[in-house]
Amino acid sequence: MIEFRGISKRYAAGQLALYNVNLKIQAGEMIFITGNSGAGKSTLLKLIALLERPSKGELLVGGTPLNKLSRHQVPAYRRRIGFIFQDPHLLYDRTVFENVAIPLLISGMGLVEIRRRVNAALDKVGLMHKAGSYPLMLSAGERQRVGIARAVVNRPTIILADEPTGNLDPALAQDIMYTFAQFNELGTTVLIASHDHMLVERMKKRIIVLQKVEE
Amino acid sequence: MAGNKPSRKPASSSGSTRRPPRRRPQPHQRSFSGWINQHKHAIRFSLKRLWFNPVSTWITLAAIAIALSLPASLSLLLTNMQTLTDDKREVPTITAFMKENISEQQTKDRAELLQELSEIANVQVVTRDQALADFKNITGFAETLETLDENPLPHVLILTPNLERLGDDKVLQAFADRLKSYPEIDSVQIDVEWIQRLRAILRIADHVVLVVAVLLGLTVLLVIGNTIRLDIENRKEEITVTRLIGATNSYIRRPFIYGGLWLGLFGGTFSLIIVNIALLFLVSPVQQLASLYGSNFTLSGVNPLMSLQILAVSALLGIIGAWLAVGRFLWRDEVVD
Ligand SMILES: Nc1ncnc2c1ncn2[C@@H]1O[C@H](COP(=O)(O)OP(=O)(O)O)[C@@H](O)[C@H]1O
Ligand SMILES: [Mg+2]
Repeated sequence: MIEFRGISKRYAAGQLALYNVNLKIQAGEMIFITGNSGAGKSTLLKLIALLERPSKGELLVGGTPLNKLSRHQVPAYRRRIGFIFQDPHLLYDRTVFENVAIPLLISGMGLVEIRRRVNAALDKVGLMHKAGSYPLMLSAGERQRVGIARAVVNRPTIILADEPTGNLDPALAQDIMYTFAQFNELGTTVLIASHDHMLVERMKKRIIVLQKVEE
Repeated sequence: MAGNKPSRKPASSSGSTRRPPRRRPQPHQRSFSGWINQHKHAIRFSLKRLWFNPVSTWITLAAIAIALSLPASLSLLLTNMQTLTDDKREVPTITAFMKENISEQQTKDRAELLQELSEIANVQVVTRDQALADFKNITGFAETLETLDENPLPHVLILTPNLERLGDDKVLQAFADRLKSYPEIDSVQIDVEWIQRLRAILRIADHVVLVVAVLLGLTVLLVIGNTIRLDIENRKEEITVTRLIGATNSYIRRPFIYGGLWLGLFGGTFSLIIVNIALLFLVSPVQQLASLYGSNFTLSGVNPLMSLQILAVSALLGIIGAWLAVGRFLWRDEVVD
């Protein structure tokens, strides 16, 4: 499903974030990326979502080399991915419901179907009662969950989560991890970057440990 | 340099069963109904967005309405004046003013003689008393005129030329010169003369209106473009986020283009309201004036075709203005988080 072939990433500023990464992830797999801060976890996820481009190497997703995608094809490709950002990037002038609905609006879904799907997604993350609230009225953890609901609402084939439980208390973090596991059960490929070793170990999935590149 | 090759741990439990991803329903993106839905969302959202900041929306609409109503009312004025001159084209009349020392009887004699001429279809005598009475009616300066000891007006002959003989402007002018040479006649005025002059002026005015319309149209374009540009600035964050989750450029553009369309369309509607209200104030005084001159001229208002044209132009200006404002997002690179 996802294959890194000799991928290196050097940012324009000069930092080498990833060096010669070779990695194969099967379709339907759930996998954790761990490593210390600065090890390149976020970078690895961004490369998959085409939020960054590799400096070297080839990255294949679903058999397609990503550098073969034209700019025109990138939006459709991104819609197949649910990305959960470290900072959830919510729109502060929209309600929770409207925020979660954005991917569906982009897909051109009808209002009835949108309502149904958004409610289902909010239910999954336990935020049904906050549908009409604005993000500023929520705790950091709740905002993170809104970001998760928005990422999964369009039923993506790949879920990429960057420290999705960073702002959550342990019990809630565990819950969210099980939610991801449920999506994975349904066939979604899930990649989660996290530095919470305890939590990651408990999930009993394949774990990739990244080490910071020493130059 | 140490590579950060990922170390692989085998999945320690058999819990992760590997199955191929389920076939998911294709996103609605490419279907026609999806496209319609996207437009519906954009329409709903852009209309809602207008009232997000009602004060600035109203100011923008007022600016557009005023800018549009000026050329609209100018062209209306021109149309009206053109119908006025069209009226007169059929029956030019020649007015001959008698010298002051010519008596009423002498005037009538001259009238009879002129009536004999084949160039003349009809002669009407307006005595100085009649003229004064008319004048009082028209101007409403009755009291002022009362104070005059003497009637300052001359006797007048109003001649309707036989168009078969005097159809041509040059021939008509020559005939007028001949009239002038009669000893009783002081001066001769062909009323097609002022009509010709008016027509020439109107032709120039036509061009002036065109220039004014183009300039003010440009103003509307700029006002709308700027409003949309500010809106884009305010929604940078939203654009970035929607791009991150897979919005296409056309999806991002759409609500802004609709926003421009609404501004143009509503601004155009308000300009029509302004012009029609202004007309309402003018209709009765103009009719009064016309009736005093014995004319059945009525002010023609904004007809449905013209209304549609104004709305179409303003809507188009809105779309173009928004398109220009949004244009640079077309060429921008993919946003990187
Ligand atoms: N946009 C960027 N520009 C320049 N350097 C960056 C950027 N993002 C990350 N880096 C650098 O790349 C390295 C890896 O960062 P990151 O992928 O965020 O690691 P992690 O998510 O594991 O903490 C770090 O040294 C970081 O400073
Ligand atoms: Mg990170």
